[in-house]
Amino acid sequence: MTDGAVALTGIGTVNALGAGGRTALASALASGRSGAGPLRAFDPGDLASRLAAEVDEASIADGLDADGARRLSRICRLAVAACRLAVADAGVARGPDLGVVVGSEHGDFRSSVGFVSGYLARGPGGLSPLTFPSTVMNTMAAAAAIDVDARAVTVTVNEATVAGELAVARGVALIRSGHARAVVAGGVDEIFEPVHRQLARLGALAPMRGRRPEGAPRAPGRDGPVPGEGATFVVLEDPVAARARDAPVLALVTLAAWGGVPAAPHAGGRTPGDAASPVARLLRGPAGAGVVKCYGAANGDPLLHDWEEALLRADLGAGAERLLPPVTLAAAFGQHGGLGALRVGAAALDAAGGVAPVLVHGLARSGCRTALVLDRP
Amino acid sequence: MSAVPGRRRAVVVSGLGVVSPFGAGVKAFWTGLTAGATAIAPVTLVDTEGFRSRIAALVPAEAVAALPASRRRSRGDRMALAAAGEAVADAGLTPGERRAAALLVGAVGGGMLEAEDWYWEETRQGRPSPRVGALRSILPRSHADVLARRLGVHGPRETLVMACASGAAALALGADLVREGVVEVAVAGGVDAFTRICFMGFNALKLLDPAPCRPFDRGRRGMSLGEGAAFVVLEEAARCRARGGRVYAELAGAALTTDAHHPTAPHPDGDGMVRAMEGALAAAARPPAAVGYVNAHGTGTLQNDRIEARALARVFGEGRVLVSSSKSLVGHTMAAAGAVEAVATVLALEHGMLPPTATLVDLDPDVPFDCVAGAARTVSVEAALSNSFGFGGQNVSLVFAR
Repeated sequence: MTDGAVALTGIGTVNALGAGGRTALASALASGRSGAGPLRAFDPGDLASRLAAEVDEASIADGLDADGARRLSRICRLAVAACRLAVADAGVARGPDLGVVVGSEHGDFRSSVGFVSGYLARGPGGLSPLTFPSTVMNTMAAAAAIDVDARAVTVTVNEATVAGELAVARGVALIRSGHARAVVAGGVDEIFEPVHRQLARLGALAPMRGRRPEGAPRAPGRDGPVPGEGATFVVLEDPVAARARDAPVLALVTLAAWGGVPAAPHAGGRTPGDAASPVARLLRGPAGAGVVKCYGAANGDPLLHDWEEALLRADLGAGAERLLPPVTLAAAFGQHGGLGALRVGAAALDAAGGVAPVLVHGLARSGCRTALVLDRP
Repeated sequence: MSAVPGRRRAVVVSGLGVVSPFGAGVKAFWTGLTAGATAIAPVTLVDTEGFRSRIAALVPAEAVAALPASRRRSRGDRMALAAAGEAVADAGLTPGERRAAALLVGAVGGGMLEAEDWYWEETRQGRPSPRVGALRSILPRSHADVLARRLGVHGPRETLVMACASGAAALALGADLVREGVVEVAVAGGVDAFTRICFMGFNALKLLDPAPCRPFDRGRRGMSLGEGAAFVVLEEAARCRARGGRVYAELAGAALTTDAHHPTAPHPDGDGMVRAMEGALAAAARPPAAVGYVNAHGTGTLQNDRIEARALARVFGEGRVLVSSSKSLVGHTMAAAGAVEAVATVLALEHGMLPPTATLVDLDPDVPFDCVAGAARTVSVEAALSNSFGFGGQNVSLVFAR
C-alpha cells in the first residue's frame, strides 16, 4: 500500500484514429486529425444526429487472435484488444498482482438487444445462453481479465461522460489501498444503432435542441456531443514495483480524486460549488496551483462546457485563466467511455515530454466530477 | 482517491437499511430470516409461460407500493431510495455529514424492468412507445444519481458493476475510503430489481431450480432469483462513538480477487474464492479460527456450492465453521446480494443468532460443514465472513467483527 504517487507505465488504445501503444497514441494526437465523420455503422436515414467517430474493424482484429474475435462481443473485443496493447506497452507481469478497472457509459447493449430479440421472436426457445453473460456490464472486464490473466481485483464502473477517467482514478485508489500492485484501467464504449437513435431522440447528441450537426466542441455553436467509440487503457503500478523492474514510466499520477457536484448540468439551477468535495480540496491546494496544462470534459454539450469552466474558475482562482479553455479531445475521438482514459494517456505523454504537471478534469452530465494530476516521472 | 497519509482507521457499520422479499425495513428482514420460511414464490410480475423455473423471491407488491419514493421512479430506484434512506436515518447522519459522504452503489439491472416494458411495447406494436422516458433510468448508475440527489450525498460517487459481487464490492471499497481518511462517512450498498432479462438468462443457462433453491442440499437443482436493496453507513469507529452513534459491527477486513478463468463458471479449485477469503482475513488481522460463521455465497447450483465448500475447507478446515446461505430465504438478489447478505451477517453478530439454510434437508456429502439446516440457531460468534462470487470470476469476501 502506498499513499503517494502511482506510476503510469503503459498505454493501449483502439480508437477512431488507429490502434497501438504509446507511440500510436502520440501519433494520433500529433496528426491533428479528427476521427469523426458521417456514420458508417448504420444508415441514419432521416436522423438528425449523423456524425460519429468510429473504429475500423481492422483496428480491432489486429489486436486479437481468431478465437477471441469469434468468441467475444464487439465491445469486449475492443476492451480486450486495448488491454492487451497496454499490458504489452508496459511489459507488466500478469497474474495475482494485476487488476483491471473498466469504465463504461453504456456497456454491451448489443448483446442485451440480441438476447431479448431472440425471445421476442421465438419465445423461450429463442434465448441464447451464450449471449446472456454479455448482457451484464462487467462482461468487458471479465473478458479482459481472462485475456491478460489479471487475478487481483477486477472492477467495472458505470458513469456518464467520465467513465474512463473515473476508472483510472479508481485504479489509482486500488493500488494505494493495496488491492493490487498493478492495474490496467480505462474505458470502453461502442456505437450501437439503437443506443445512438435513442440518445438522439432524448436530445443528448449533436445537434442538441435541433441545431445543425456540424458544431464541434468549443465552436461557437457548441451543438452537442458527437459520439465516438473505442477503448483506451493505461497501466498503473506501485512505483516501487515499477522501479524494481525498470519499467518504462511515462508519468506519475500524483493526485486522483472524484466527487459529486450537488446538481448536474442538466438538472436545472445555477452552477453550484462543491467546496467540500475531494476534487475541490485537491484543486484548491498546492497541486492545483502548479498545473501548467488542463484536459477537460468538454464534448460539445454547452451546459457541460459552462459548468466545467465555472467550477475550474472557482477552484483554481486566477490561475484558471491560463488553463482555460481546457484541451478537449472529444472532437478528434468522439464522446465515449474510453475518452477519459485517452485524455489521461495524452497527459502522460505530455509529462514524459516535460510538460507537467497536467490536470485531467472530468465532469459528467450526472454531476460526477473527477480530477487527476500527472507529473513527470 | 487522495488519502491522508498515515491514517488507517477502524471502520464500523453504524446504520442499516433493507428492502427485501420479506418487505421494507431491517426489522422485517431479520424477522423473516430468523423465522426460516422462504420468500420464494411464483412470479406474477412478468409473463413466465414456457420457462423451466417460474418462481422467485420478489418484494411483495404492497411493500413496493408503500415505499417512500415516487411511483414514477423505477422499481430499483425506489428500493434503493428506501433502503439507503433507512440506513442514513438509522445512523442519524446530519445533512452536513450526508453532504460530504461517499456513495457507492453495487448495481447491474438499473431500471431495466421499465425499459423492457418500453422495448416490448415498441417491438410488438411496431411504433414508438410513450414509455421512452424509462430509458433515462435504464443504466446501473441511475440509482447513484437518484440517491445522491434525493439524500443529499455529494462526496465521491461510484456505481460498481461486479455481477453478483457488486454490493459486497461497494462495502469493501467504501470502507477503504473511510479507513484511508478520504471521507468520514460512506453510504454503501447494492440494489437489483427483478428483470425479465435476468430471469430469462438464468433460465436459458438452466441454472434456476423449478422449486425453491436448496443450497448445499444433495438434491439441489439450481438457484432462485430474488430482488431487493440493502445499504449500510460506514464510518470511522472513534468518530462514531464520539458522536454517540450506534456501532453494529466492525467491517474488519475485505478482499477482492478475480478467477480470470471463465465468463460464468468459477475456477474449479476455488482459487479466487480462497484468495478472497484469505485476503479478507489477513486484512482483518484475524486467523480463520477467529471466525465462527460464514454467510456463504451459496447459490444452490451444483457447481458453486461444491466449489465454495471446497474453498471453505481449504481456508477454515472441514467442519471448522458454521455456514448458511441466506439465498434459501430471499433468493439470489443479484447485485444487491453482497449487501443484503452483509446486513444479514451483521445482524447475526448483533443478535447472536444465525439465519438458517432454510430449505436444506439432505446435506451434500461434498459439503463438509454444519450448514444450519432448517431453523435459525442461537450461537454467539465474535467474527463472521460473508462471501459473494460474481459472473466473470469476481470474488469479494468481507469480515465483520463484534
